[in-house]
Amino acid sequence: MYVLMLALWNPYMGLDLTALGRQVRQMSHTAAADAASSAARAAAMRERMLTEVGAEAHWAQAVDLSRETAAWLLARPVEPLDTVVDLPPLPPAYSLVATDGSQIELDRHGAIPCYVINIGQVFLRYGQAPTARLTSQPTLCYHDEDLYLHDGARRIPIEGNYLSARRDVDEGLALAALAAEHLDGSLPAVALQDGTLVRWTLAGAERVVQDHFMSQYLDYLEQMRQRQIPVASYISRPRSPELVGSIRLMLCPDVDVAAGRGARCDRCSDQRAGRTPSCQPCQGLVDSDIMGERLRDGQRGPILLSMSRINVERYGPHQIHFFHMRVGRELCRVEMPQWVAQQAQFVDQVHTLVYDQCARGGGYPVALARAHEQAIVRSADRRAFQRLIESSLYRAEAPGGVSAKRESKEFSRG
Amino acid sequence: MQRIAEVIESNTTRFTAGAYELHSAPPFGALVRAATRDAQLAVYGLVYEIRTGSKEPGGRAVVRGRTYSGRELFDDQIYFENPDLAEVLQTEFSALTVGFLEQTALYHYLPPHPPPVHYSVYQCSADELVHFSEDYACFRSILFASQVPNDELLAAYIRSAARVRPAGRDYLVRAGRELAGLLKDDYDRLAALLRRIRPV
Repeated sequence: MYVLMLALWNPYMGLDLTALGRQVRQMSHTAAADAASSAARAAAMRERMLTEVGAEAHWAQAVDLSRETAAWLLARPVEPLDTVVDLPPLPPAYSLVATDGSQIELDRHGAIPCYVINIGQVFLRYGQAPTARLTSQPTLCYHDEDLYLHDGARRIPIEGNYLSARRDVDEGLALAALAAEHLDGSLPAVALQDGTLVRWTLAGAERVVQDHFMSQYLDYLEQMRQRQIPVASYISRPRSPELVGSIRLMLCPDVDVAAGRGARCDRCSDQRAGRTPSCQPCQGLVDSDIMGERLRDGQRGPILLSMSRINVERYGPHQIHFFHMRVGRELCRVEMPQWVAQQAQFVDQVHTLVYDQCARGGGYPVALARAHEQAIVRSADRRAFQRLIESSLYRAEAPGGVSAKRESKEFSRG
Repeated sequence: MQRIAEVIESNTTRFTAGAYELHSAPPFGALVRAATRDAQLAVYGLVYEIRTGSKEPGGRAVVRGRTYSGRELFDDQIYFENPDLAEVLQTEFSALTVGFLEQTALYHYLPPHPPPVHYSVYQCSADELVHFSEDYACFRSILFASQVPNDELLAAYIRSAARVRPAGRDYLVRAGRELAGLLKDDYDRLAALLRRIRPV
């Protein structure tokens, strides 16, 4: 209350919403104008893509040839580009495990270097004997090996993106443990994760960091493969332009598969001749702009292979494939490793079970919503955690105390 | 007797317990017993409010009777189709403290300490209810407690105490006389209360 009164009283504090409001209005007008033009371009690009139905092998080759040299993301078609699969029948009973994680980041201004990873875990079974287990498992990480990766004498701190990578690994390991505990193979099942299975956060990381996290992550996928439990992940409102990248190749004058030539964006012939690049109509489009119009509720589009460098180079037999599916007004992206994508029965299982989860969850998978609820760390929890640390350090007579900067932010001073 | 709930909030005059099973709180007006740190001392309360809601503070249930695909679900079907509901909803009940048991002696006034949070709550057996309701001293504290449905609570308690007795009608008559004494200067309230415990 005191802080609020100060904010009202002092015009120099806080966000100037009046100034921001004008800019927000301008932004809205621009967005409305752009939407119309991008819908028309998306329709044209969709038509362009469909003229290549039957030539998927050709374009798969073009994708392989362009992978290193194209400036955009690519997806290699695994099924015909005009594939539309209706929702397979739902099994009368099924099980599902899901995890989601969150963290309390390492606070450099805090009393002691440590962070918390909290993994929400969900097991659900539908059918004759419906049941649910919702739990969360917090881990306090403070040992040297939690805080740093060691590369010879060098120490690489685990924070920011690397902490997210560690959390992703922990989510996977928790999912494998959950599957081992609850899924006995008697019912159709799926292990569901939130977000992408492609570990983008590691794409730009140095080799030693990639090795450390990827080996653990692939171990988890391997465990699931051996148990034959299909792994999938759900991305709500995907913004990735990988299929669009492959359509760009169809427009590119430099691609010549017969001559073994892919797109080379740094030596774009259009640009060098002073023309607008032929792929310009794809600018700003994403995969869902292309797939959205083709799919009715419950239908899925073709399976595609993500050609991101980390996926192609590090995932081995677990390379991440994906398809788009319509759930009500939303188009989602469902990802799965190669060994799931290659078994038609698994693909159908993932398709129908993920859709059913969305249907039960009002548009978003119940299991993921529940896992998120279990995992979430609210700001009140954060504060309680900091107080817990400070009081515990004090009782243990360990050196502690927060930085002056942190202290200055606790209260507004008059 | 098996424990049915666990204290989740408590103070000198009342306590709230979370039921282990969704939707299975003891009925309104039921006598419940809460354990305390002293094994010889148990606190008695009367259930005056039962509620079911989200375990999450501020969380609310959403309607689920019409599925995404337009299928209609009714009542327990909704729980069958959404087994996670039993994990995120909680039934809890509040009880007005009306007395305590110390060793073998019963007292119809407030105990020295409320039951601690997380201690067990049991529903009282018929014998226990007969024993406790022999004395009318708690009628007064029920009638004049704040923020409880006083008259409804007292009537429900009296009816349940009569039901577990072979001579239930006699009990109702005796309880009625006691009420007449307590409410001698409020005829309307007395009449309304007596109508609620009239023998049938």
